[in-house]
Amino acid sequence: MSQSPRGGSASKDSKYDLSKISARVDRVNVSGLQRTQNDYVMRAADGLFKATNFQDLMVEAMSTKSYLHELGIFKDVSVHIDISRGADATPQGYEVTFKGNEYTRLMGSAGTEIGQNEGSLRTELTIPNILGRGESVSLQGSYSSNRAHDLQLKFWKPFFHTRFRENRPELSFSVFRQTDRYDISSFQTTNLGYLVDFSAHTMLGVDLTHSLQYENSIRDVGLLNKSVPFAIRDHCGPKLASLIRYSIIFDNRDGNVFPTQGVLLKSVNEYCGLGGNIAYTSSTAHGEVNVPLFAGLVAQFCGRVGVVKETKNTTQLPINSLFYCGGPLTLRGFKFGGAGPVIDGTPIGAQTFWCTGAHLWAPLPFAGVFKNLASHFRMHFFYNLGNSNTFSTENMRSAFGVGLAVKLAERARIELNYCVPVRRQTTDNAINGFQFGIGYEFV
Amino acid sequence: MTSQYLNQLHTADKLAAEPWPEDATLYQPYEAEQILLPENASCLAVKAYLKMCNLPFGIRSCANAEHMSPGGRMTKLPFIRAGAFIFAEFEPIVNFVEQKDLAIGSWQDEDEKADMRTYVSLVENIFTMAELYISFRNERVYKEVTAPRNGIVFPWPLSVMQNYSKRRNALRLLKVYQWDDLDIDAVIDKVAKCCETLEYKLKESPDTPYFYGDQPCELDAIAFGHLFSILTTTLPNMALAQTVKKFKHLVEFCRFVDEKYFQTRCLHD
Repeated sequence: MSQSPRGGSASKDSKYDLSKISARVDRVNVSGLQRTQNDYVMRAADGLFKATNFQDLMVEAMSTKSYLHELGIFKDVSVHIDISRGADATPQGYEVTFKGNEYTRLMGSAGTEIGQNEGSLRTELTIPNILGRGESVSLQGSYSSNRAHDLQLKFWKPFFHTRFRENRPELSFSVFRQTDRYDISSFQTTNLGYLVDFSAHTMLGVDLTHSLQYENSIRDVGLLNKSVPFAIRDHCGPKLASLIRYSIIFDNRDGNVFPTQGVLLKSVNEYCGLGGNIAYTSSTAHGEVNVPLFAGLVAQFCGRVGVVKETKNTTQLPINSLFYCGGPLTLRGFKFGGAGPVIDGTPIGAQTFWCTGAHLWAPLPFAGVFKNLASHFRMHFFYNLGNSNTFSTENMRSAFGVGLAVKLAERARIELNYCVPVRRQTTDNAINGFQFGIGYEFV
Repeated sequence: MTSQYLNQLHTADKLAAEPWPEDATLYQPYEAEQILLPENASCLAVKAYLKMCNLPFGIRSCANAEHMSPGGRMTKLPFIRAGAFIFAEFEPIVNFVEQKDLAIGSWQDEDEKADMRTYVSLVENIFTMAELYISFRNERVYKEVTAPRNGIVFPWPLSVMQNYSKRRNALRLLKVYQWDDLDIDAVIDKVAKCCETLEYKLKESPDTPYFYGDQPCELDAIAFGHLFSILTTTLPNMALAQTVKKFKHLVEFCRFVDEKYFQTRCLHD
């Protein structure tokens, strides 16, 4: 006789207090392993063997089920709890069986992806669990609205089955070809190379996500039209970059798109110069603080800083590593890159930039009427400040306005804002009116 | 949308209006370590032409000159930056200079000019193709000279990839001009015929050192550029140089132009 977990009834029915029923797990079976190696799922049972009562048993069974999902080998997992039988069965002994369906050998998917102010169509072909321990090889191709197409072949190995399971370490190696178009500066960069990535969480006090990457790529700068200022033409041609990138994220917000409370801190640091003929260091930091007020209103403060510096090996700071200030994702009220330095009429990126924003988020009026639909929309009043190439507030740019935001699939949002630029410089490209933006990280 | 022809007319007007800038600069790859034979010939031809026109210019050597260039039919080099204008390769630069009425050869009449143009076209095509052939098609020259020189400005493995793509482009260009399936003897033959034609032209005006009259013209510049480069570049395969050396008048012509404008005195007997 198998019993399905009755965790729900424990709370309603006070007669049967499951935490008072003592239980012991005698045996855990995991079936459905065909190409997966046995030692990969070995730790699944750890929590179960520690259970002393029936409530613990059911809670642990559920968490083991989600752990087996995370291992990336099973399409779906079902749990069966039965009393244990056989010669070495103990009284109050239970046997827990997990039946899983492994992934097929080849999986494909196609979908859309939202980038920073661009949308793209992405297709992916994956061979999951290729060597039996959750590794996967995937081929991803994407075609974006900027007419840049990317291709990436990635080998990914998780280490969730080791004793560092809590830290969720992952290792991946990918070979990629990626094109970035900088339309406002009339050049594009084609990057061809490989990337080794190691990421993990540390739980010392706060939950931080770390990611260490080594990238070795050929960066080829090409022009997009004939009449480009000579300072940009000077950078054309291929160069070899060998760099190391470290990023750290602290995120305790209660949501990605419309958070009501919590803090996000993110920092990405690059050191390029371990070989090749490009050398520079680049650091970006992004922070967001959300404070819930009354009646569904949320106050949000965001800030972003970026600095690119030369190292002793630098011959020329690469033009594609400079920062563009302005745009619907940073300084609203200005075109993308419209709040930065300009050479011969063409805007280029800046060596340093900073940008801050203060928002007051409110639910739509009459939100109570269409609850489900209304949760995807928010209104906000914003005030953005920012500047390029200087950290003083003397000649800074600023804009304020009001807008409507729509949530897209828990990951990105679309904003339609009416902006009024307040302070600007003569060479800036400002928008006094409606501005549309789509992305996942806004200031 | 204004028509393309109107745009060209406006550009031509703008070109004629501005004087030759003081800071006109010629961009080429590094001469000692990087430049290849066909590129060197083209750069030398342009330099000779500008010197003959008495126009001041500066020279800047950069590793990525070829990628900075706005593009061209064959070598894409050199390219000149005069004010806001950028032009690459011998013929476009000559056209640019002529627009400004600063060119030599304005003493020639229309017939002579047309005649000279055909010679210029012949010289540029035959010699550039022969230089590309010897630099990229000949295995020994490619391995010992072309590949190390071209790749020296890139770190490994970028140098390997750049050499591969440059060789592929050169071979494709040779195929377009139908030179890729010739063997070295056929190439030498073509070069010899071209030199013969030039020497005959030179002998037509025996009292003047130049091809036409006693003033230099485009043909002098481009013939000098190619012949001098071929004679003074040491390659593992000297077939081209030996062919040109047989024509004494052409060698004398090169020595004369070198003495008058460059004074490098590299040509020895």
